[in-house]
Amino acid sequence: MFHPKKPSSMNSHERPMCVQGDSGLVLTTDPKPRLRWTVELHERFVDAVTQLGGPDKATPKTIMRVMGVKGLTLYHLKSHLQKFRLGKQPHKDFNDHSMKDASSLELQRNSASSSGIMGRSMNDGNNVHITDAIRMQMEVNRRLHEQLEVQRHLQLRIEAHGKYMQTILEKACQTVLAGENIAAASGSYNKVVGPDISGMKEFGPAINFPSLQDLNIYGSSDHLELHHQNMERSSMEAFMPTTDNFLGKKRSANPYNNSNNNSGKSPLIWADDLRLQELGTAANGSCLDDQIGPLSIDRGSDIDSVSDIYETKPILSGDHSIGDKKFDASSKLDRNSPPRRTAAISAGGMQQGRSSPFG
Amino acid sequence: MDENVVVQQSIRPSSHEVHEEYNDFSPEYNMMIDDEAAGAGAGGEDLKGMRLIHLLMAAAEAMAGASKCRELARVILVRLKELVSPSDGTNMERLAAYFTDALQALLDGAAAGGHGKQALGGHYKEEHHQTDALAAFQLLQDMSPYVKFGHFTANQAILEAVTHDRRVHIVDYDIMEGIQWASLMQALVSRKDGPPTPHLRITAVSRSGSGSGRRSFGTIQETGRRLTAFAASLGQPFSFHQCKLDADEAFRPSSLKLVRGEALIVNCMLHLPHFSYRAPDSISSFLSGAKTLNPRLITLVEEEMGPPSDGGFVGRFIDTLHHYSAVYDSLEAGFPMQSRARALVERVFLGPRITGSLARIYRAREEAGEGYSWGQWLGAVGLRPISISFANHCQAKLLLGLYNDGYSVEELTSNKLVLGWKSRRLLSASIWTSQDGDL
Repeated sequence: MFHPKKPSSMNSHERPMCVQGDSGLVLTTDPKPRLRWTVELHERFVDAVTQLGGPDKATPKTIMRVMGVKGLTLYHLKSHLQKFRLGKQPHKDFNDHSMKDASSLELQRNSASSSGIMGRSMNDGNNVHITDAIRMQMEVNRRLHEQLEVQRHLQLRIEAHGKYMQTILEKACQTVLAGENIAAASGSYNKVVGPDISGMKEFGPAINFPSLQDLNIYGSSDHLELHHQNMERSSMEAFMPTTDNFLGKKRSANPYNNSNNNSGKSPLIWADDLRLQELGTAANGSCLDDQIGPLSIDRGSDIDSVSDIYETKPILSGDHSIGDKKFDASSKLDRNSPPRRTAAISAGGMQQGRSSPFG
Repeated sequence: MDENVVVQQSIRPSSHEVHEEYNDFSPEYNMMIDDEAAGAGAGGEDLKGMRLIHLLMAAAEAMAGASKCRELARVILVRLKELVSPSDGTNMERLAAYFTDALQALLDGAAAGGHGKQALGGHYKEEHHQTDALAAFQLLQDMSPYVKFGHFTANQAILEAVTHDRRVHIVDYDIMEGIQWASLMQALVSRKDGPPTPHLRITAVSRSGSGSGRRSFGTIQETGRRLTAFAASLGQPFSFHQCKLDADEAFRPSSLKLVRGEALIVNCMLHLPHFSYRAPDSISSFLSGAKTLNPRLITLVEEEMGPPSDGGFVGRFIDTLHHYSAVYDSLEAGFPMQSRARALVERVFLGPRITGSLARIYRAREEAGEGYSWGQWLGAVGLRPISISFANHCQAKLLLGLYNDGYSVEELTSNKLVLGWKSRRLLSASIWTSQDGDL
């Protein structure tokens, strides 16, 4: 799958062959048909073995499933895998440029591809073949290594993606909260503002983290499909109850409500402050004096100041491991806010920390 | 299914060519209906699904072609509305509901004298509560690999293109919430080879209008703030800019601020399920404008529709129906029990997309030149394809492994990965350059 198909060399026919239409398998026309391992077919075989974690972990059954070639039987794969494991397999062109030297191609042509010759070469104990076997092993290892690297990176990327999604959701929480607080101030506590976003927050980590753990498992897993099914099950289990929460959630379950009421400040002011901070006019005293400003500030008005802020260098530096660092928007807000606001905001920050998966 | 075959022949008079490529499998009507029947576990659903498709196609035929019988279409749509609801019922019923609405909008728009443009405008208002949109966005990402496939494939190509650069400038046509860049930043700060973490500059292209939608100026600014904070938390040197489109959504390359020595990347995410409609004129002005800037890399993600058909509106209508039925099918397979969650995703993202797609093909029956993919377009204007790396392909495969069975990734050409669902190609990511020589 990873490689462009190459035309298989079909020049040396020792016995009548027939090509099986759709799958392109080449079988002898004997009463007991034997399979011809073309270069292309062998490549797919090696790909499958690599995917499955190497020749020692792959089994004929799993290879058959991964290859998905019609007409290929367990019998064929069993003997081919055996030879592959023994390192006596004559093909060694893995579509890797470094391997494509003339001698190996030559050798490949000479050793032909009928299983009869393959059998003979097994008994030769030929040095060339042993060297090839080692090369082949190295090649498989290299691919495995690259795949593991990709896997590791993918995991980090999914994590980063998830974290960023959290920041979007948290912002939305604050916005909804601000809306709710307005409602609270006007005495209509029972008004529900949109679907409950806090449910969504819980739902986020519940779905993200099982799959991340599974990606870890995946690293050591020797069987792609088995693993795949496990993953599916666990993430589904994690998902279902929480989604029900998410969809059927009542507003009373919002963890933010309590903290606001306990913070000793008017929820209205708290929410307003946050909004002002986020609008990029932070550290601008005149803005903050306007405590109960209208919630819907014209965002077009602060373009210039914002673009200045964007040019600033990052606040944090040094350790680049994303896993050890927490991304906490509120800590940044604290930095810019005047002392008299800090209490209210950090109350919000603490609350965030508790519900945030990476706090 | 004999009955289906009979119906099929009677309802697809002019579109054999369109679907030839699927003939290896069972015709997709059957697939679609088989799946529905399996899901519902009742023989009646099977018949109902067939009936809905039949009615939809009859309506589409009534609206197009020689007959142009609007009254007939109107009557059929009334009947369809009695049968379906966008929030209840099987996949096929919900899908039919959106197609019914979309056809109705076209009919109303056409009656008003336009080419369906009114309908387009009306349905692209951002009507949803913002939290609905976010909830649906989150669900979509968890239910399906579409978003991550597009973003990660593009990002991997970007990373490979800027291995040795100290300054990277990405011009992003449709930045939305900016989530694509979180994983890129993570990868940039952790890269081992090459110089230390490069400075990343992102210029988001924004509409000039003042609207309040998810792509308005204010929303993009918020995205900028969020990205800046995120970059800071990783230690990624970063700056953010906006570049406004003209009033007619045309892109002026001169409005970009370019800095000598920066590796210029052009990122064009179209058609991810959560993205909404952008006018073809705007896209082509962006891409051709971008080409004049001689970018190191152009990343393009777009939906894969069947080849442009000779079947006219009806042929393309069928193709669109197939496309979205595959999307619905894939979402259902991901979360079979979560029909309410899916209904939210459908309402927020897919419904408007269906309306947009149908409006586009309805207009395209009069306007020549539409209908081929943007990838083909890029090739035609002289951009050079860049090969997708082994690592990139591998990443896509691993990613799909995290979702339910049924998805596949296919290297259609050397520079293009296609995400498929069963026999249907859904979304492709392709990479291009305007520069000569190897990167």
